[in-house]
Amino acid sequence: MEKLQVPVVSRPKPLQLIDTRVRVVTKDNLEEFLIEFEQQYGDVAFTVLSMKDYENLALNIAELKRFIGQQDEIIVYYEEALTDESNLKDTPTNGTINN
Amino acid sequence: MIKVYFFLLLAGILAGVGYAAKYYYDTTQATIATLRENNAQLEVAVDIANESLELVQSENKKFAELNNELQGKLQKAEAYGDELRGKFANLNLVLEALKDAQSLEGRMNGATAKLWREFMADTGNTNTYDKPQWLLDMEAARGKNGSSNESGETSSTSSVETETTPVN
Repeated sequence: MEKLQVPVVSRPKPLQLIDTRVRVVTKDNLEEFLIEFEQQYGDVAFTVLSMKDYENLALNIAELKRFIGQQDEIIVYYEEALTDESNLKDTPTNGTINN
Repeated sequence: MIKVYFFLLLAGILAGVGYAAKYYYDTTQATIATLRENNAQLEVAVDIANESLELVQSENKKFAELNNELQGKLQKAEAYGDELRGKFANLNLVLEALKDAQSLEGRMNGATAKLWREFMADTGNTNTYDKPQWLLDMEAARGKNGSSNESGETSSTSSVETETTPVN
């Protein structure tokens, strides 16, 4: 019986993310925030999230992180299942999830 | 004359017996050759079957180990979301903001910066990224105020200190 041979393909390009800044504004620091914001960006136009929506956004991102992590582990599983142990050490992997 | 017939009869019988013996010998040899060939083929078939069985058994063992390993890793990938849900359950962000907006802002931005760097590392980005200056300034200000340890989010910002920011 011959083992199925499937070539292991290279992983997609790694993520290249950009830092994002969150501002926490209350009644107490609203005026200070508006002055500082206008000085920094020139105009007063911004996106607002309630605390609840911020939580939801964070939980949504956590869910995406979970899915990416699990998907990656499943890919590693198939790669290891299809690769001889002797070749496995030489197989390039872009990184496994370590939470 | 009778002797001649008897001799001919005897010769015929002997010839018949000889032919029968020769026929028996030939067919037996042919059968032996066929059986020997079949035996050799069966031995090869048994060897192949044994090898296949060993391969299937070793593959099954390997897949069982890989599957166990996978289940553990899939479970581990749930950790971040569980931890975050736990933090939000124990934390009232509105109250935290009203108490100390600057501290909460610093913790949120620290956690976010750490998360982006974890995403990059998890997908194979081996570069290191410094935190942006505004975040370093924010953390320095929080350090002076001594208000950085009020939430679990703060602790998650501590492991990205040697990283460099990609853009902005």
